[in-house]
Amino acid sequence: MKAGKISSLLLVLLITALATVVRVFLMDAQSDLDASVVSQAVGFASVVAGASFIVLAPVGIAIDRAIANLRRGIEGASDANTPVFSPGMRLMRPVARAFTATVDVFRQREQSLRSQLSDLEIRHRVSEAERRQIEAVLHALRDAVIVTDAFNEIVMANQAAANILGFDRKTSIHKPIDEVISDTTLCTLIRDARDTANFTDTRHVEHTVSDPKAKPGRAQAGQGAAGTVYDVTLACVENHKREVAGVVTILHDLTRERELSQMKSDFVSKASHELRTPLSSIRAYVEMLVDGEATDEGARHEFYRIMQNETERLSRLIDNMLNISRIEAGIVQIDRENVDIKALVARAAHTIEPQAREKRITLHQRMADVDLTVEGDADMLYQVVLNLMSNSVKYTPEGGRVTVAADSDNLTRSVLVSVSDTGLGIPPDALPRLFDKFFRVENYKRVAKGTGLGLSLCKHIVETVHHGQIGVDSKLGMGSKFWFSVPMTYAGARAAA
Amino acid sequence: MPQRILVVDDEAHILQVLSLKLRNAGYEVLTAVDGEEALEYATRQTIDVVISDYQMPYMTGLDLCRALARNPATANVPVLLLTARGHTLDPEDLTLRNIRDVLSKPFSPRAVVDLVQRLLDGAAGGASPRVRSEVA
Repeated sequence: MKAGKISSLLLVLLITALATVVRVFLMDAQSDLDASVVSQAVGFASVVAGASFIVLAPVGIAIDRAIANLRRGIEGASDANTPVFSPGMRLMRPVARAFTATVDVFRQREQSLRSQLSDLEIRHRVSEAERRQIEAVLHALRDAVIVTDAFNEIVMANQAAANILGFDRKTSIHKPIDEVISDTTLCTLIRDARDTANFTDTRHVEHTVSDPKAKPGRAQAGQGAAGTVYDVTLACVENHKREVAGVVTILHDLTRERELSQMKSDFVSKASHELRTPLSSIRAYVEMLVDGEATDEGARHEFYRIMQNETERLSRLIDNMLNISRIEAGIVQIDRENVDIKALVARAAHTIEPQAREKRITLHQRMADVDLTVEGDADMLYQVVLNLMSNSVKYTPEGGRVTVAADSDNLTRSVLVSVSDTGLGIPPDALPRLFDKFFRVENYKRVAKGTGLGLSLCKHIVETVHHGQIGVDSKLGMGSKFWFSVPMTYAGARAAA
Repeated sequence: MPQRILVVDDEAHILQVLSLKLRNAGYEVLTAVDGEEALEYATRQTIDVVISDYQMPYMTGLDLCRALARNPATANVPVLLLTARGHTLDPEDLTLRNIRDVLSKPFSPRAVVDLVQRLLDGAAGGASPRVRSEVA
């Protein structure tokens, strides 16, 4: 187009020259000039026009080409791979150079922008992956996590938070806490944390959250105490300008910790009671002997006997406590060998025999006529059989019967031992707690002495050490049947566990 | 006439040792193996001091103290509690007027006799040792 304009310019020049000639001719015709002047003028004009055309036409063409080159160069400049252009004309070279320099600057800028962009894309992908990772961690937590912004609107909440506080996680984002969380105390805590803007300390508050599934009507009817106690941690988050960016709130369920702490203090309290009782007797009788309160040899002998019995009771108690603790802690020494249950039962029966005879209790043994060998710790299994038989004799009135039976169960590949008696039986309400530490049936405390740890130890030996099972069937007044089963092989025991 | 002491404990050895110590000290001693039996004795005859274990089946030593306090006939009998529970007793529980002292097991029979003597002297003087110890 630009080349065309140059040609048009030349044409205009030519026409102007001709028009001048014609105008001179007309003026001269009017002023009566002669024809030679006219013809001279015409000739001169034609020469001028011709010369102009001959001289200017190649210039125009050259300009046209240079402009076309320039145009192609400019058009091609958008493609970073092609050189800007080769200047076709000397005149145009400075323009081309200036243009090339400018294009180079732009190309460099483009290059750096491109690398910045890919850098940003990588960073975005990394931060996205990190965000997903953090979210996965937060959602896997059992603690509730709620992140709010400076306007007390929810930025993030994990599933535990939604479950504990009873809201829909997906629709909670960017909503004010008061609209999402019905627990007004918690909302106040979060708002307060945001307003105090304390970045150095996290605040811990114990707070009871009522069950979101519970009907509100019921909670109002004096059942508000039912709920779960949480340790609420509130931490203020600051932005780069050291202003409050938001608050992170974490709710940690204290139920299990409370239970464990309660169990621990119950155990200490019961253990302390059980240890102090025989110790009281020992101390009291020693003092009586020292003070000479026993007046005759018979009384003194009786005191010594009581002290001996109580000392034995105390050491039995300590042994049981330590054995249970060792099994619970997994540090008990277990000697696994092939144990013949029949021989083991016979040995226990022999030990119990004098006690049974004293109460005219008959001891029966019913051993199945098959091999009853298990892989286990002989001493520990002996303790279990002896303990169960001793209990039966203790809680069976005079003239009763105690039967110990053993058989194999081919289906479960285990040996089953049971000790049945015609004793007092166990009250139904005591059955679930029978194997608990220090549990003793109230009514039977006077029937026989015990540490309250025997059955708990049996349960640990059978279930924890041998992966077996222990249980009791009993009817009040009709006697009891204690039983346990132990897998024949340790591999089988482990597979069953 | 000797003063009458009622000893309540579910441990036979403790009953035996305390009875002997108190009898040797010149008191008349009654023994009960639980709270119910103790209440029966206390309502049927005059008791000067009750020595009771804290942890017993059916009825704890504290329950026994409450029952004694409810009955006008036994409300003023001073009680000496023995406990094997160490420091786990709630002090709130020990605010009953008739509980004059608490002794931790294992205890010294000598100390029990001394306390009984002090309780009886205090009762005669009109002020309980508990009150005196609070003033001091």
